[in-house]
Amino acid sequence: MSLTVALSKGKLLQGTEALWRRAGLAFPEAEGRKLVVAMDGLRFLFVKDQDVPTYVEYGVADCGVAGRDVLLEAGSDVYEPLDLGFGRCRLVVARPAGSGLEYRRAASLRVATKYPRIASGHFLGRGVSAEIVKLSGSVEIAPGLGLADCIVDVVETGRTLVENGLEPVEDVAHSTARFIVNRASYHAQREAVSRLLATLQKAVA
Amino acid sequence: MNGFSHSLVQVPPGVQCFVGDEARRRRSIEDRVVSVFEGWSYEEIIPPLFDYADVFASETLSSKTYSFVGRDGSLLALRPDFTSLLAKIAAGRLADRPAPIRLYYSGEVLRYEPPKAGRQSELFQMGLEHLGGGSPAADAEVLAIAAECLEAAGVTGFVLTLGHVGVFAGLVALAGLDEAGLATLRERVESKDGAGVRAALASAPPEVAAALERLASLSGEISILAEAERAFAFAPAALTAVRELRSIVDALTAAGLGDRLAIDLGEVRGLDYYTGLVFRAYARGLGFEVGSGGRYDTLLARFGRPLPAVGFMLGLDRLALLLERQGAPLPEASRAAEEPGDLRGARARRAAGVRVRLR
Repeated sequence: MSLTVALSKGKLLQGTEALWRRAGLAFPEAEGRKLVVAMDGLRFLFVKDQDVPTYVEYGVADCGVAGRDVLLEAGSDVYEPLDLGFGRCRLVVARPAGSGLEYRRAASLRVATKYPRIASGHFLGRGVSAEIVKLSGSVEIAPGLGLADCIVDVVETGRTLVENGLEPVEDVAHSTARFIVNRASYHAQREAVSRLLATLQKAVA
Repeated sequence: MNGFSHSLVQVPPGVQCFVGDEARRRRSIEDRVVSVFEGWSYEEIIPPLFDYADVFASETLSSKTYSFVGRDGSLLALRPDFTSLLAKIAAGRLADRPAPIRLYYSGEVLRYEPPKAGRQSELFQMGLEHLGGGSPAADAEVLAIAAECLEAAGVTGFVLTLGHVGVFAGLVALAGLDEAGLATLRERVESKDGAGVRAALASAPPEVAAALERLASLSGEISILAEAERAFAFAPAALTAVRELRSIVDALTAAGLGDRLAIDLGEVRGLDYYTGLVFRAYARGLGFEVGSGGRYDTLLARFGRPLPAVGFMLGLDRLALLLERQGAPLPEASRAAEEPGDLRGARARRAAGVRVRLR
């Protein structure tokens, strides 16, 4: 029985394709890509990056590639046997540059983020009860427009923060792309899973 | 949703309702599993639906328990689990019953679970407890019954993955971690994230860090037990646990069950009362385990009757879903009914054992 692999259509796609080719595995062509493609003994599902852990956790896909940030936010119960090394980024708390905002001293704190679960865990864990405003994108503009006092967001180079007049205060988490496996597939389809895992492992090392 | 703004037919999240064929499938699975329990001379026990909340005082369960204050001011809880209840009954009501005591149950437990893969607030569990028997004999007995239950229910291609909490515990005792560090480590081992385990153990002795990193990926065929013995030779407690697991595996292999077994030493999650063997049942077609169990040698002492114990449970909800996914045929629908003209005729046909349906 062939394995089903859930992959992100988003920012991790390029790195995943490069990894697959390095490992000598076939990868569906980008032109007019379908959402479900069978190829070379694998069935690929192309979904939104936040949805990859969901497909894998429910066992609709046996394995997949997801960012650690997305896994943390989803709180998914999946195996993460391989750090793929690409898609490296940080999740940070950022405040308006020069504002000197000390969130522990603020009487009230409103935080805009695409990662409500991670952000609320971060502040609660530090004894701060923050009001979390969930946004789907363009989080960087929230403080400037008065929607939030600070943000929790992903930073790769830090340029977007600077362009929007923000500065990082502290790191919340570090993230890279992970190869993830459904818990039942790992055991009930051990041979196929460990073969794919070993092939990818060689391409990472 | 504030609990007031719903229509009268709206259902609260987490509840389930089964009609006709679905109910018939569940009933038939339950019948088959229960007949296996009976076949191994386990006695049925029908415990109360609620009890004092402190009976269920387990860290993992307490956050999921529906508790309420009784009329006399005592704190009560709807049972979130059968094992604690059975331990209490074995130590109380059955105190003069000599060990070993073999008990089984089949019924609902209630847990607050956020809606997620394979979880409901109302779970139907079928399971058994072997109280007063040591490892490996009682462990092997319980695992053999678990395998027979899955076969009897009609599950194909299942595997029982075996681990032992003593392996992780024996290694981690040498790592010198604080509580927060331990929680992170456990979570990374459970995720089989070797790199994450290494990062969590930056300040541990290198030998211990390497062993725990290895532990995260030590799963597969029975033969990896030999590898585990070599890798953990420096840690006596962990080595003892691996050897205990090996004798369980040997007993099952001798009984003809070797091809149903796999090892997963990185499986360290689960209820906090387990002290030895832990296992899970997985099958193709379901993304999560269909049942689980393990040894809990210290739980009965809480109730004043120190007895070793081992047990397991299968989730009826998960079994039904799995069988549906595996394309197992529905239990035969009942015979067609006759349609007698009046009640008198219907009673006569019923007396003859015929199924009727009045117009």
